[in-house]
Amino acid sequence: MGYQRRSSPLHAARAAVGSGLCCALALVALLYDDPLVLAAAMAAGLLAGALAGVGATLRRTLLLALPFALAIALLNPLASQQGLTVIWRFGELPLLGQRDVTLEATVYGLVLALRALAVIVAFALFSAVVDPDQLLRLFRRVSFRSALTATLATRLVPVLQRDGQRIADAQRCRPGPPPSRVALVRAVTAGALDRAVDVAAALEVRGYGAVRRPPRGDWREPWSRHDRAFGLAALAIAALAVGGRIAGVAGFEVYPTLSASWDAAAIAFCLALIALPLLPFLDRRGIGESAAGGLDSLGRTRLAARSRGHVDG
Amino acid sequence: MTKRRTVALAVAAALSATVAAGCGAGAGETSGEARILVTHDFGSRVIGARIQQDVPESETVMRLTERNFDVETRYGGGFVQAIDGTEGGGEGGKVDWFYWVNGILADKGADEVDVHGGDQVWWDHHDWSGSDRIGAVVGQFPEPFAHGAEGKRYPVVLQCASSAETACQAASDQLSAVGVHASRQTLGTNVETEVLRVMVGTWRELRRDQALRLIDRGPASSGVFARFDADGRSLALLDPRGRERVTATTGAGLVAAVKLGDQVPTWAITGTDEDGVEIAAQALDLQRLRDHFALAIDGGRDVSLPVLRQPGA
Repeated sequence: MGYQRRSSPLHAARAAVGSGLCCALALVALLYDDPLVLAAAMAAGLLAGALAGVGATLRRTLLLALPFALAIALLNPLASQQGLTVIWRFGELPLLGQRDVTLEATVYGLVLALRALAVIVAFALFSAVVDPDQLLRLFRRVSFRSALTATLATRLVPVLQRDGQRIADAQRCRPGPPPSRVALVRAVTAGALDRAVDVAAALEVRGYGAVRRPPRGDWREPWSRHDRAFGLAALAIAALAVGGRIAGVAGFEVYPTLSASWDAAAIAFCLALIALPLLPFLDRRGIGESAAGGLDSLGRTRLAARSRGHVDG
Repeated sequence: MTKRRTVALAVAAALSATVAAGCGAGAGETSGEARILVTHDFGSRVIGARIQQDVPESETVMRLTERNFDVETRYGGGFVQAIDGTEGGGEGGKVDWFYWVNGILADKGADEVDVHGGDQVWWDHHDWSGSDRIGAVVGQFPEPFAHGAEGKRYPVVLQCASSAETACQAASDQLSAVGVHASRQTLGTNVETEVLRVMVGTWRELRRDQALRLIDRGPASSGVFARFDADGRSLALLDPRGRERVTATTGAGLVAAVKLGDQVPTWAITGTDEDGVEIAAQALDLQRLRDHFALAIDGGRDVSLPVLRQPGA
């Protein structure tokens, strides 16, 4: 479920832009209660993921998140006593007092679940399309050591995953009853500590402690058209979300009674939300048909340009 | 098998308990009408008054209020922050919304207090720097005598001093006029805590009572903004901050209610002398007590307590 380089305009965009787009989608989910808008934000994330070639990853994430969302949807009506339309009475319960399930609290539970799913989709897209190393490189001038530590930590997660699979395979090959999962976790943890000691030794040998803040200019790259297109889309989504909130578009009140303004403006708002992150995918110039995991043409161009000392916009 | 049977029995018992506790679909059966009053500054200005027909079983004070007024809540919906735009917490944070059901201050959040047919709910927005413990008010007369509290009616006892026979008869007649039957007892008779007492007599005779002696301790303890002097012949009428505004002497009466701990309220029909007690007993009238926290009668004129402005100004 981690990042894998693919040949898509979104993967070709710089990390700051890709994360900006995902954050803009998450912002929409956090600003609005309207289920239509939340569904639109989720749909936008899923469609963008599909066009970026990570649709299957997002679907898997969504399936894993469903029980969590279901728990939210079920707990809210039991925990919240707000709302005027009582649909079920539990009467006086010991310690809890009077417990009523209201239609409004039930709907709000569903809204919260939908919001959680939309935010999860936005950040699943983020982890699937944004190169973590490139993202951490943005922070190296702020705190080089923290950026390096975070990079190493994120790199170690898939390594440990592979370690676990290898050890589990080895365990299955041994005769006798299958060993417990605790034994597996213990072995992986011991391996992680060994690896940490190795990494620390390697860092020491390479003079990690003596490193200084990198100069400002050496990692700056000019903006590509994908950077510009997705950057503009992210800004437009954020502006639309904030502007729509101020203008009261897609107003949705849950308490004390349900009220929604599903007018033409709300529908147009939702359609714009879905369309904006998809428009930059129309421009596939410079995106090669290379296999998943390989460098696309833009990546290769950048690599070549970097070796020459410049990059074309 | 035995274990399975025990579990089945426990589940059946739990289900029976929830059903017995009032579990069921929908808002429940209706039980008559309820009244709600919203005022400012100790009842001096009415913001709104509504009558809710067919109060369902699941109705709470919060739902009744939200059904009839524009309410803003805090802390998970149990605390009212604003009603019809009038916010609590202003003027140094010592102005807030308080509510009484049938003249009795509730000690729970408005979302936890049930409303029953015939109940009267009173919300008032006031400065609580003088007292935050106004446990009982007289402004919802004939409550709490007519419908009691939390759906339970209480027996009413009229305890009269021997010198106040005429006033006692007047009080009895006034109660009968609103359909409340009160049994007569001699002053000082011990009664159970769940009995509504109406005490009639001069303050010199009543002040030994355990509940009524709160009035001598001042508004911070009693919630009554009036205080008799040491020999009970003069009555100081106080403003919301507990400062003396008017001093009434001969022929002054007082109708007030106090609540000691978990007991039901005790009403005082008293005065500086026998004449004062008599005019106080005559003031035990729906029209004269309406929307007053407590009522003083000075020189034949009704003075709502606390005193917001100089009488006659």
